[in-house]
Amino acid sequence: MTRPKAPHIRLPIWMLTLLVLSGCSESEVYPDRPIMLICPWSAGGGTDTVSRTVAALLERDLGVPVNVVNATGGSGVTGHTRGALAPADGYTMTMVTVELNMLHWRGLTNITPDAFRPLMLLNRDDAALFVRADAPWQSISELKEAVVASPRALRASGTAQGGIWHVSLAGWLNDEGLDAGDILWVPINGAGPSLDALMSGGVEVVCCSLPEAAALLESGRIRSLGVMAEDRVQGFLSVPTFREQGSDWTMGGWRGLALPLGVPEERAERLESAIQQVVQGDEYLGFMESTGFNVSPAGPEAFREIMEAFDQQLGVILTGDAFQSVRSTRYGPMIFPGILVVLLSMVLVILAVQGGLRRSSEASRIDREGMIRMGMAVGFVLGYLILADRVGYVLTAGVLLVALLRGLGVKTPVALAVALVFAPMTYQVFAVALRVPLPWGWLGW
Amino acid sequence: MDPAIVEAAAQVALDPTIWIVILASALYGVFVGAVPGLTATMAMALLVPITYWLPPLPALAAIVTMVACAIFAGDIPTILLRIPGTPASAAYADLGSGLAARGRADAALVTALISSIGGGLFGAVVLIFLGSQLAQVGTLFSPAEHFWLYVLGLTCAVVVSHGAPIKGALAVLLGLLVSTVGLSAVHAQSRFTFGNPQLYQGIGFIPAMIGLFGVSEVFKNLLTLLPGSETPTNRHAAAGGISPGHPLREVPGAIRRWVSRPVVSLRSGTIGAVIGMLPGAGADIASWVSLGIGRRTAASSDEADDEVALDDLGAATTANSSALAGAWIPALVLGIPGDSVTAIVIGVLMMKDLTPGPEIFEKQATLVYGLYLIFILANLVLLPVGLAAIKAGGLVLQVPRRILMPVILLFCVLGSFAINGSTFDIGVMLVFGLLGFFLERRAIPLGPVVLGIILGGPLEERLIQVLTAADGSAIAFVDRWPALILVGLWILMLSLAFLRPGRWFSPSSEDVRA
Repeated sequence: MTRPKAPHIRLPIWMLTLLVLSGCSESEVYPDRPIMLICPWSAGGGTDTVSRTVAALLERDLGVPVNVVNATGGSGVTGHTRGALAPADGYTMTMVTVELNMLHWRGLTNITPDAFRPLMLLNRDDAALFVRADAPWQSISELKEAVVASPRALRASGTAQGGIWHVSLAGWLNDEGLDAGDILWVPINGAGPSLDALMSGGVEVVCCSLPEAAALLESGRIRSLGVMAEDRVQGFLSVPTFREQGSDWTMGGWRGLALPLGVPEERAERLESAIQQVVQGDEYLGFMESTGFNVSPAGPEAFREIMEAFDQQLGVILTGDAFQSVRSTRYGPMIFPGILVVLLSMVLVILAVQGGLRRSSEASRIDREGMIRMGMAVGFVLGYLILADRVGYVLTAGVLLVALLRGLGVKTPVALAVALVFAPMTYQVFAVALRVPLPWGWLGW
Repeated sequence: MDPAIVEAAAQVALDPTIWIVILASALYGVFVGAVPGLTATMAMALLVPITYWLPPLPALAAIVTMVACAIFAGDIPTILLRIPGTPASAAYADLGSGLAARGRADAALVTALISSIGGGLFGAVVLIFLGSQLAQVGTLFSPAEHFWLYVLGLTCAVVVSHGAPIKGALAVLLGLLVSTVGLSAVHAQSRFTFGNPQLYQGIGFIPAMIGLFGVSEVFKNLLTLLPGSETPTNRHAAAGGISPGHPLREVPGAIRRWVSRPVVSLRSGTIGAVIGMLPGAGADIASWVSLGIGRRTAASSDEADDEVALDDLGAATTANSSALAGAWIPALVLGIPGDSVTAIVIGVLMMKDLTPGPEIFEKQATLVYGLYLIFILANLVLLPVGLAAIKAGGLVLQVPRRILMPVILLFCVLGSFAINGSTFDIGVMLVFGLLGFFLERRAIPLGPVVLGIILGGPLEERLIQVLTAADGSAIAFVDRWPALILVGLWILMLSLAFLRPGRWFSPSSEDVRA
């Protein structure tokens, strides 16, 4: 279903396109090539799962492949930045998450929600507090009393320093008139490892979303003190809200699809209606329900308002004095590299003294010819970096292969044969079967 | 006999879907594992939308088989080309490729295959019979224990790497330092990024590994390419040697090797299962630790040397395959993922309305027994599929180097790009290719650099966690008995390394032995 159209099939399509173009707008043929969906989080996580499911369903409606790319790293900076700066041709979408509302307040990027054109809010994951089943506290007020009685005695986790669950907990403490640091935050990357630490006694409280803790919750090993949502959450109806327990605090994460600014409106609307179809379909709803993801679709306008509201609320917390003081931990970011540099210089001194840094006796001598051949290999990679995005993968790979093979003294017919086999074959395997978004060129492959 | 077992056996044996799924995912797994840069996690993520339309048992069969085959297939390019297909193979890249260079490629590959199967089956047995008991061990691991486990893994890499351990230490520290580039996961502050937003994501260990091993190997080969002569890549094949060519002949020997040393095999299997079970530690650490503990002083003659190398290779491949089943223990018993693959598994199970946890063994006994059967089946299917892959891999070595090297380079570029779809990673690959080339010429091992890059983030995270939770007291690292056990192991390992001072400082006396 995803085989790219061979040239002889494409020709009539282009002629058809020309005919169509003479009569009506260009949007008639959108989309005619694979769409990339950027997921700022790693494969296997919640955001990735939602992205891949939506992508698989969208594919049927749009009739072109929708490939998920995990642009991970930097607490979401990488993916969101790439999504916002992508070409505004409607062939790149981003699964934006609540971190979009946080990163710019923390000075990590200048990308704000205004850099995106919202398409659809998909789901919201409200923050909830969890303790071990044998913990003494039964409600959030009892937890609060314990914190008031002995500040900084309890330890909590759920994500890295300054992540959404940290902000949720710190914001609640703030809201209750306590200091945001009264519960010590132990930075652990991810809800899974945090729950692990909860079980092994490393922390006393975990703040994360309900689906992330569902397995432990249902087996009765942990207990939820409350969820920071307006109403009880579908699928977790036994968990009381903070509101029921006399607190007005609500906070949590959200996920949604967005385009970079400047995409032609017809294309954006085409995507919007396709996504609308998907999120109303039984397959999507069944999937979201069975995985425990809450479903709260909201169209572009409502989505924008939600982002703005979150942006304001998070801005108050993240730039407030209370949170600033929590963020500056005693064990700063340079401690670990500092230790490493000290150790490394010790090792280097030892090596220098005993002469171990000289070239090894077995290493072959470099002659001029060899240097040239090595230089050609470097040129191959550099050439790919320069050409691939402009010319397209298949042409670039083919030309570079022929050039390198010829440079190594392979006969021209052999070199051509190798290039003719490997350039299209690798494209089929990587781009078509494995969904790697290889660069798209002038010719369409 | 429990009726659920019979029902599970019937379900697995009589359902043609399962057999088709197992075969298809075995082939898929072999391909994904053999191409550096394509990871099992990424292959799994591609499967997720498909598993949604499959019943639970075939869905799990696809995952288990694919991962088991991928971890073995990673050994094929490692041994034949010295390019690790998966990070778990980096530990024995020098060991395996050294064997291949001496004409023992088939022996090495078949040993890896048989040990992988043995390790996988052992891991499955541990999962079946000791799963719930072992899961309790996992809850003993607080950040301090994780910290020591990572230190232990890194120390093993230093001790194991060929040549002077001081150079291994240099390699590990380089890797750790590289891992600190980018946005610190713990503090969410940028380090060494020089204002370049691309560097925020840090240096990925996959493109770095492809560069260090793959690209530098291409450079090395191109340097020594003789003009005009179209020699096949493998020296022994050129000389009309028997290897590669007949992997089947090596099978009995490899089985004998695994079975005749039950202590080593069981020890490696146990190391793998236990390390695999711990969140944040997986097959990559398992193979290093298994090598580190199993390391024996090398005998002098070349013949015996090969045998020792094959033994070591077997121990390491046993451990990394066993780690795969180990990762399922906390996932099934507690609902906590042991690695990124089981994290996806939990998602798939939840999608099927099956919540992992203690009650899955009562409520879904048939499914659990079916899963056990599939673990065993997957490893058995690996035998024919793996042999075929070895045979096919052998053909690669018949290709003249001047044709093979450009194609490998193209695959390196594709593999680096595939992981994140980012051209920046191709640049990273090139830089690390040059770095790897220069490190090699100074006889500095490359494997420890990769382990350093992988473990740098988690190690720092645990360090800061322990310090934060204990409000700065260093006692927190050693005030629990599980931590003390690991510290004891670590000191033991260090003293063993120091007991051979000649090895510790001599720059190159053993470099020939790879």
